[in-house]
Formats: sequence, structure tokens, C-alpha cells
Amino acid sequence: MALLEVKNLTVEFGSEDKPFRAVDSVSYSVDRGEVLGIVGESGSGKSVSSLAIMGLIDFPGRVTADSLTFDGQDLLKMPAKKRRAITGKDIAMIFQDPMSALNPCFTVEAQIMEALKVHEGGNKKQRRERTLDLLNQVGIPDPKSRMTAYPHQLSGGMSQRIVIAMAIACQPRLLIADEPTTALDVTIQAQIIDLLLKLQDDSDMGLLLITHDLALVSEAANRIQVMYAGQLFESGPADSIFAAPRHPYTQALLEALPERSTGNDRLSTIPGVVPGQYDRPKGCLLAPRCRYANDHCIQDRPEVTDFNGRDVRCFYPLNDQGQPTGQTTGQTAGETV
Amino acid sequence: MTSQNTPSTAPQNAVDDAMDTVGKPPSPFIETWNYFRKNRGAYVGLIVIAIILFVAAFATFIAPYDPILQDRTAFLKPPIWMEGADPRYILGTDAVGRDILSRLIHGAQLSVSIGVFVVIISMVTGIILGITAGYFRGWIEVGIMRLMDTMLALPSLIMAMAIVAILGPGLENAMLAIAIVQLPHYVRLSRASVVTELNKEYVIASQIAGAGHMRQMFINILPNCMAPLIVQGTLGISSAILDAAALGFLGLGAQPPLPEWGTMLAEAREFVGSAWWVITFPGLCILVTVLAFNLMGDGLRDALDPKMKR
Amino acid sequence: MLGFLLRRLGDVIPTFFGVTILVFLMIHLIPSDPIQMMAGERGVDPARYAELQKEFGFDKPLVVQYFNYLGGVLQGDLGKSFVTKRPVIEEFTTLFPATIELSVMGILFAIIIGLPLGVIAAINRGKWLDHLTMSLSLTGYSMPIFWWALLLIMFFSTTLGWTPVSGRLSVFYYIEPTTGFMLIDTLLSGEKGAFTSALSHLILPTIALGTIPMAVIARMTRSSMLEVLGEEYIRVARAKGLTPMRVIMVHALRNALIPVITVIGLQVGVLFAGAILTETIFSWPGIGKWIVEALNRRDYPTIQGGILMIAFVVMGVNLFVDLMYGVINPRIRHKR
Repeated sequence: MALLEVKNLTVEFGSEDKPFRAVDSVSYSVDRGEVLGIVGESGSGKSVSSLAIMGLIDFPGRVTADSLTFDGQDLLKMPAKKRRAITGKDIAMIFQDPMSALNPCFTVEAQIMEALKVHEGGNKKQRRERTLDLLNQVGIPDPKSRMTAYPHQLSGGMSQRIVIAMAIACQPRLLIADEPTTALDVTIQAQIIDLLLKLQDDSDMGLLLITHDLALVSEAANRIQVMYAGQLFESGPADSIFAAPRHPYTQALLEALPERSTGNDRLSTIPGVVPGQYDRPKGCLLAPRCRYANDHCIQDRPEVTDFNGRDVRCFYPLNDQGQPTGQTTGQTAGETV
Repeated sequence: MTSQNTPSTAPQNAVDDAMDTVGKPPSPFIETWNYFRKNRGAYVGLIVIAIILFVAAFATFIAPYDPILQDRTAFLKPPIWMEGADPRYILGTDAVGRDILSRLIHGAQLSVSIGVFVVIISMVTGIILGITAGYFRGWIEVGIMRLMDTMLALPSLIMAMAIVAILGPGLENAMLAIAIVQLPHYVRLSRASVVTELNKEYVIASQIAGAGHMRQMFINILPNCMAPLIVQGTLGISSAILDAAALGFLGLGAQPPLPEWGTMLAEAREFVGSAWWVITFPGLCILVTVLAFNLMGDGLRDALDPKMKR
Repeated sequence: MLGFLLRRLGDVIPTFFGVTILVFLMIHLIPSDPIQMMAGERGVDPARYAELQKEFGFDKPLVVQYFNYLGGVLQGDLGKSFVTKRPVIEEFTTLFPATIELSVMGILFAIIIGLPLGVIAAINRGKWLDHLTMSLSLTGYSMPIFWWALLLIMFFSTTLGWTPVSGRLSVFYYIEPTTGFMLIDTLLSGEKGAFTSALSHLILPTIALGTIPMAVIARMTRSSMLEVLGEEYIRVARAKGLTPMRVIMVHALRNALIPVITVIGLQVGVLFAGAILTETIFSWPGIGKWIVEALNRRDYPTIQGGILMIAFVVMGVNLFVDLMYGVINPRIRHKR
């Protein structure tokens, strides 16, 4: 049994009769020791889905799912108190911006020890020792002097290490990392990812790595899940997705990677933005931006289907040559120019 | 795939098509009005203000009696739903037999004009001082801003009392005093806006195009600083009405027999144990009027503040 | 921290001189001659007029007069009252404790009621409880407190007979002032019932005076809380599995308090303005009532001195609040 099982998770905001679906029937699972990468542009719902797992979606937002189980227990059906005992202990989360993730009014030590106190108890001395251990573990130089520092006295990379220390304080079995490196300098990014992967490997945690950076997941993740406008677009093992993307969106994302650009042409981009609350297309959500879109795509919305052993949400999944299948070339909007 | 490297126009068209349902952005005025209207409190405030303005404008026609006419046969008559009331006087009479309703209606005229005049005087002077300070910088700015800081060190009512102490009690002097007291708010707001606007490209462009100081200050920059000033002005009306009433209550503002609400309360004070109506109604009028302007000011701030949108 | 302190002092000093200049000029801006004014209807003969002019120093140039005045102020000499002939500073120090007592009670009332109201409104954002508390606080904010005080008297004193109408203490007791604070003095005196009497005299003035600051604090707390509750570190705190209570009371409130403290500091000015009205209505023997009486009697040295002292107190409290701000906000404490 997988550590985390998500079946048809939906998160809605706004009024009951005209809701906005930030996450639309998304399913995935994470096993212990596994790294699942969730990839998407901003606005794709990847962060919202992880907040839903943590139980951090508030009043106007509504979370529904066929099942949302952690270690066999349904998180949505258990009482709030029991769920709080799991969040922060067995499931922990690292947020995007370390500079705003630490409470400016409390010292580093106080913020790490708080998590320990709530979930593990023990006396103050034990907690302080454990905090020192953790700071060592996440590679903070001179941890003793950092214990009493305030967040504004730390650099971004240092803050993110503290945030990680805080998250792994109670030895979680699942760690959700939401864009853990986006707000950091490029030079620090690799260090933080290496640290995360090392911690994951050492303790056999499940790691849910949420990012917009395909290059990053390509190195780190076992499996990849591509999301767009709240929907799952494609999922499968990391290497096979990179070898042969089945969804036009994945293909476009890969082409936009600097590492993949060949020759001296300009770097490829995907025109437009992810549709928001007010401009959702009628048909396939990607249709306005898809280079293969035809009338069928503009009129109807595709469902997730199995294509060569991969989940793909497209009427015309791509073949190994990167060409849409089941579609005559003359029909594609892109070719009519 | 030739379309890959040169951005193709087809997807762009598709985006345009998809966006078509959203429509054109509304004009700034309509947009502000739409935000404002969604705020129920502000809407109520606006309606109440409209009623008060109407009553104030047509006070002489609406009021059943002359506000200073004394009826020696009806001293301290209670409102008509009470026992012992005089049916001619709906809200009763005061200690010298004047119709309270008529006095309240004429009081509305006084309060509204106090609020509006004070804010106009104060705002115009404040904007001129503030823009001058922000535009010319240097010792002019230091001088003006230091004076304003000093004025802000004193609580507004105490400052107004001091000014009235110099000028002598009376409605005009009280209004002038309140206008002076409110000055620092407008000066600070307009200076701060000017300082931020001054570095923007459009001002520099206009300067290069040869715009003079006056044109820069009042035609180019001022319209872009108006939003916070409008909000402050609306809230200024309510605090002017409140301060004027307080001065009237202390005997430093409007003098009897003027039917100013604060002055009416001062005259009614001694009847605190015997005639609740002479105390309750004037105060209620002050509260409702001030509340209405505050509601509208709040609504305007929310509607005009881009940070609050969405 | 030291730099911060010095910078704040640097801001305060020009304001200090500004206030002394304004207050000094006050007496010279009066359209009529102050000596004629003092003499009243009877007038004054020319010989006595010259004598008085010399006594008050009105014969010297304005600048010299100002520095004489400033010198006096710095030594604690605010002149003598035209009416009582007693030094203004002496009258001020006698009456000030009564105003402090009332103001402290007022601000305590405002904080004790206002803070929870703001927090409750924020965590129930958009629900009826939020609308209710915010409607109440906007009403409080718009309240003409002289009317509010009269309503309170009408209801609680005249109709229900629960509280006394005016003064600081029932006439049955005589307490020798030691600290000037009636609550403390009555406790020290050991006289039975005196403390309860002092307390009951305080209730209505406290509510009247505290209402506007209460409304301001509630509104500020709400908006500050809402801002803080949207911060990432609140999410992080919740992701730790803390109870909602702990997240709100420890993580959110501590940060939300920072701007609220400033607002509380700014209420000192509001309190003094309110004290003038409240003391007048409740015959509370403090500086508010004293200044109003001086205004009615045209006792200019008292008006000048009173306004100056109030300005000093307001400036002092604001400075203190800024320092408090440094204590509660680590970001300022460590700034050099």
C-alpha cells in the first residue's frame, strides 16, 4: 500500500453555484522512499493540492476527494485533532519562500522546538539538544550561535535550511516540498536539493517535490506528474516522460528547457498564460495555447486516458516522434498559419 | 515544425478568442463605483448622506417651525408618543419652548456646511502647502513639515480650543480652528504622493517637454494623488462635524440660540435627569451623520485602494 | 537600538521647540492686549500698565521674550495663573494624577475590550460576527463622547441608580491625597468602602473615555490580524500541527500587535482630547476640566501652560511607545 493515496482530489473556491476549480479531480500516490515530482506553471494548482493534503485550505475553499489516505487512514474523515497529530509529525511541508516562512518574532530555536514540543514532548533540555542535532544535520555552520538568531538575521539559503530542519524535526514519513528552491540564488538551489534528497534517502521518506522546474525533477524524481490549470495532464516514470512526452504540453515544457534547446535559434516558449478563474476555455484547457489544437479540442474537454502505459489527458497523444496521433496534419491549427 | 521557433499567431488568436468573454476593462470611475457599491455599509452611508443633504438644503421648507421661535405655553414637552405631549411638537420642545425637530433640521444645515467648508478650506490650503513642500524640497519642505509635525504633537481638539481661545468663541472661528487643525493630514498626504510621483517617467518626460512648475504641480502630478486625498476629505468631514459639535458643547463653537447640535446638547445638559429627549435627539443626529461619512470614507478607501482589489 | 533611540530623539527635539514657539506666540496673537484683558471692564491706569508690562516682560523684543519664556519652561516655570495667582506648574501637578488615573483606566478598558473584538472579527472574517463587531466599532469610532457620557449617566445613574453622577469620591469619605491616584489613596487609607466608592465613580467616565480608543484598537487589530493571517509563517505554524488557538494567540497575535501598539500610543492624544469632554461632564477634577475653566476665564498663562504640558506628555508617550516597538519587534531592535 502506498504511503499517500490521492484519488480524485478537487479543491474549489468561490460560490457554490459558480465555483472555481483550482484542483480538478487529481489522483496520485507516493510510496515510502519514493520521490514524486509535480510539475506545472504558476496557477496550475500544484501548490493548492499540496495544501489540501496538509489540511491548510480555509473556509471559502472546499476540498473533496474520493479518498485521501495516508498510511491507510483517510485524512478527510478523521477528527481535526487526530489529523493535527499527523500533520507536522508524519507529514511535513516545506514552503516556497523561506524568508517569509519563519515567524519574524521568534528565534530559530523557539520555532524548531515548538514542533518538537507539540508532537514529541520531552523536556526543554532534550528538545534543545535535538534542535542542535537538526541544525547540524541540515548543514548549518556554527549551529550553536544560530539557535538564538532571529529570522531577519539569516540569509535565504540559511533560512531554508532552518525551514527544512523544522520540517524534519519529528522524522516525518512524507515530506512535501513546495518550490523549495524558487526563492533562492541559483548557487544555493543545488545545495538545498541535494540536502533534501540526502535526507529523503537516509530516512526512506516519501518526498513530494512540487516545482515548475522540469530540469530539477528530471534529476530528482522517480515519477513525474504534469499539471495544468488544476488538471492532471500527464503522469509516468521520470525517464520515460523525458524520453517521449505524450502530451503536447509536456513536449512544449521540455522544448522550453535551455538544456534542450538545440542550435542557435531563440529559446522556445509557450505563448499565453494558464487560464484563471474568468477565462477558462470551453474545451481542452490547453487549447488556446496548444500548437496542435483543432476544433475538437476547442469544443470538447478530454478525459485522462491510458496511452502506452501512461496517463494522458489529450485527444491526440503524441507518438515517439513527437507527432500527434489520430489527427490528420491538415487539421492542426498550428499548421494553418 | 516550422512554427516552433517563430511564435505563431494562431495560438495568440485562440487566446484572444478565449478572452473575448471577459470584455473590455471598465472606466476607472465605473470600476470604483462597482467596488463601492458592493460594500453594503458604504452604500447605506451614501444614502444617509443624501437624505441629510436633502434635509439640509430644504431645511426652511421641511422644518415645521422657526428653530428659534419660543412657545411660552410649551416648555420641555415630551415627544408625541409620550404622555403629556403637545401634539404640535413631534419630538417635543426644549426648556424655552422651541420645537426640537425644527432645530434638528436646521442643525443639519449647520453641520453639513461646517463639514464641507472646513474640508474645502483645509484641503485646498493643505494641498498647496504639501505639493509645494514635495515639489521644491529643501528648506521649504523642512519648514512646512516641521510645522506640521509640531501641530500633530497636539491633540486636535486641544489645538482647536487653543486657536478658539486666541480668536474668541463663535461658529466662524471654530470652523477656522478645525480647518487649521486638519491641515497637517492633507499636507502630509499630498507631499508623500508628490514625492513618489515626482520620480515617475511621465513627470520627467513632461519636464523635458518644457512644462513649467505650475503645470507640473497642479496639472500633471495632482490628479494622480487625488485618491487618498478624497478618502481623507470624506473622513475629514466627519471629524470636522464631531469637533465642531464638541466645541459647541464646550461653549467655544456656535453660540446660542443657533441650533447647532453640540450647542443644543450643552443647553440640554442640566436636564439629564428629567428630559431625555432634549439630550437624546441632537446626539443621535451627530452620531448618524458622522457614522454615515465614516462609512462612506471607508468604502471609498476600499474602492480606491488598489491593494485591496481582488 | 541606540541609533534608533537617538534618531527618534532627533525627531522629537525640533518638535519640542516648535511647540514652545507655538504656545509662546499664542498670547501675542490674541487680538486684544493681554494686560487690558486681565484688567477686565475696569481698565487700568497708564502707570500701572507700564508696571505690569515690565513685570510680564512685554516691553522687551519678541525674541528676547521667547528665550526668557523658554528658559522658564526648561526650569519648570510656566508662569502664574491670572485667576488663582498660583504657579501653573503647581496646579498642573496637583490635578494631573486624576487625569492619569482616568486615562489609564480608559486605555485599559479600550485594550481589554478592543483587542479581543478585533481578533474575533478577524478570525470570523466575512461572517456575521465580523460584521457585528465591526459595525459596533465603527459606531464607537463615530461616537460624540460628550453625548455618549450623558446617555450613560441618564441610563446608569439617573434611571438605574447604579453609579454616581460626578466627582471622584462620595462626600462621605475624606481621603488625604498622598499619591493623587484615588484608587491607591483609598486603599492606603484603609477606610471601609472608600475604594469601592472611588471605583464606582470611575466606571462611567472610563467607558465614555475608552470608547473611541476601543473602536480604533478593534479596527486596527482586525486589519493587522487579517494581514498577518495571510502570511506564510502562519501556514508553516499550522503545518506543524499546532492547534488553531495556538496559531492565532501565539504566532499571529504577536506579529499583529506590532502596528496595534503604535495605534495604542497614538490614542494618548485622543485620550487627552476626550478627557477634556469627559472631565467636564463628570466634574472630574483633572487637567481637562482645568483647561476648559481657564478658557472660559481667559486665564492665558494657565491655557498656555496646560497645552504645553499636554503636548509634552503626548510627545513623551509617543517616544516611549516607539521604544516599546523596538522591544516587541526584533527587526528594529537589531537595526543599527
